[in-house]
Amino acid sequence: MTREEQLLRAIGLRAEAARRLEGSTAGAVLRSVVEATVALFDAEAASIALYDAATGRLVFEVAAGEQGQGVIGLSIAPDQGIAGYTFTTGQALAVSDVERDARFGRATAERTGYVPRSIVAVPLLDDHGTIGVLQVLDKRSAAAFSLRDVELAGVFARQASVAIRASRVERDTATLLATTLRGLADVGAAADADGADENAATIEDLVARATADLGRDDDSGLWRLADRVARLRDTDPASIDLLADLLDVLVARAERERAGRRGMAGGPGRFAAPDDDA
Amino acid sequence: MTEPILPAWSEPFVEGRRGALDRLRPIGVVDRQLAFGGSDGTGVTVAIIDSGVDGGHPAVGGRLVASVKVEPGDDGPQVVEDGERLDVVGHGTACAGIIHSLAPAASLVSVRVLGPDNRGKGAVFATGLEWAIEHGATVVNLSLSSRSEALMGAFHELADRAYFANVLLVCAANNVPGPSYPSLFASVVSVAAHDVADAWTWYYNPRPPVEFGARGVDVEVAWRDGGRIVATGNSFAAPHIAGLAALIRAKHPTASPFEVKAMLAATADR
Repeated sequence: MTREEQLLRAIGLRAEAARRLEGSTAGAVLRSVVEATVALFDAEAASIALYDAATGRLVFEVAAGEQGQGVIGLSIAPDQGIAGYTFTTGQALAVSDVERDARFGRATAERTGYVPRSIVAVPLLDDHGTIGVLQVLDKRSAAAFSLRDVELAGVFARQASVAIRASRVERDTATLLATTLRGLADVGAAADADGADENAATIEDLVARATADLGRDDDSGLWRLADRVARLRDTDPASIDLLADLLDVLVARAERERAGRRGMAGGPGRFAAPDDDA
Repeated sequence: MTEPILPAWSEPFVEGRRGALDRLRPIGVVDRQLAFGGSDGTGVTVAIIDSGVDGGHPAVGGRLVASVKVEPGDDGPQVVEDGERLDVVGHGTACAGIIHSLAPAASLVSVRVLGPDNRGKGAVFATGLEWAIEHGATVVNLSLSSRSEALMGAFHELADRAYFANVLLVCAANNVPGPSYPSLFASVVSVAAHDVADAWTWYYNPRPPVEFGARGVDVEVAWRDGGRIVATGNSFAAPHIAGLAALIRAKHPTASPFEVKAMLAATADR
């Protein structure tokens, strides 16, 4: 590995670690979108379901509101119910009095523990088609959603779509590096237009070599650690304190071991190799 | 992150905005009596390209005469008999119920293009539309559109074929900005919702692409499993215009799509 590749790999590693620790920025934006939706509509719940190409199902990723939490993680067939209809047709839809049909959405309602009276569903769209659905359930101030509500929900859906699109680009560390470097190289090569394509090819090649397997190496101890810490991100302060205390103990032990090894062999310490028992 | 609130296609048709729809009528007086007085839709077949139609629902009045579904296949989508005659969502039944309420003697044909494997497959939708054009429907209600640029050519060709085969396509306007086929083609009747609680009130908007506003807010509609719900959306406005078009076609069997459209425009509320 050349020095440039080593540097790129180091940058890539840091970016990947940061990405894992921060969690998906899209997740945070989507949560804020549904929270804002609930607040603005004064609704019982709002949720966003995204299409998962791997399973072929619509998966509820985020939700807000008193009655919203039960739906998170739930997946439905992409043609099922109001959300499914909006997803498959791209048509915004509002329905109310859904309880009058006792069989309406019974299965889903049983799984979420909540049967809505009214629903508005609007599509999340990108350049290629529908990627998901934003749903709002039960406006407290009215029995039904108005045409204006459908339009407003559409505005929130567009915000969510923008966030998803942005995160899908940024999530790929290699793409991020290549894009950045290419941008820098293009500035340098502006005077010499012939060199731009060549530069781009060289950069992509370089980045590909440097970041090969980065992020896919899911069994590495470092990534397992980062993923576990990331899962604790939203936990209570007491658990964070407990984690910090545990880490202090491990750090102290690692330092003692390293001091011992230096005393014996003088070699460099290891950094979280796979299967290092915590 | 600061996209402006774009005007909905329904905007010109809502209260407070309708004044802008006033215009000089180019064709003297064509009143509703002339356009469809005494008509009940007899002899006209309306195809509903949607989620299927529950033929046993009371709102459909036993007028469902055929049901097909489009299945994605290895050699392209195939149209097959829909023995189950079910509506996977309720939406197609809602559209059928609205059309039947306006044109009670019209025959209804369900073309189901929504199903477990049909997610956003424009080709399935296009196949369903092609089948409807070729199998005797003279009014086709489309509550869905494709955003696929790749299929624009195919839909354009189908819209032209429908027009020349004397088949009127009535399309719900998509509530999102950007392209949407065939609902924004000139030869179709594109419909958005207005907020008047009357099925016999409709508006003509001289500023395309969405030319007609029909009832689409808080409409009590038929739904799946024999139920009823109250629904809002452009896709409930389109079948109101499809029902009216069926009445006009029954009274004027030789009228071409543009003549039916002209009659709808001439008899619109103002």
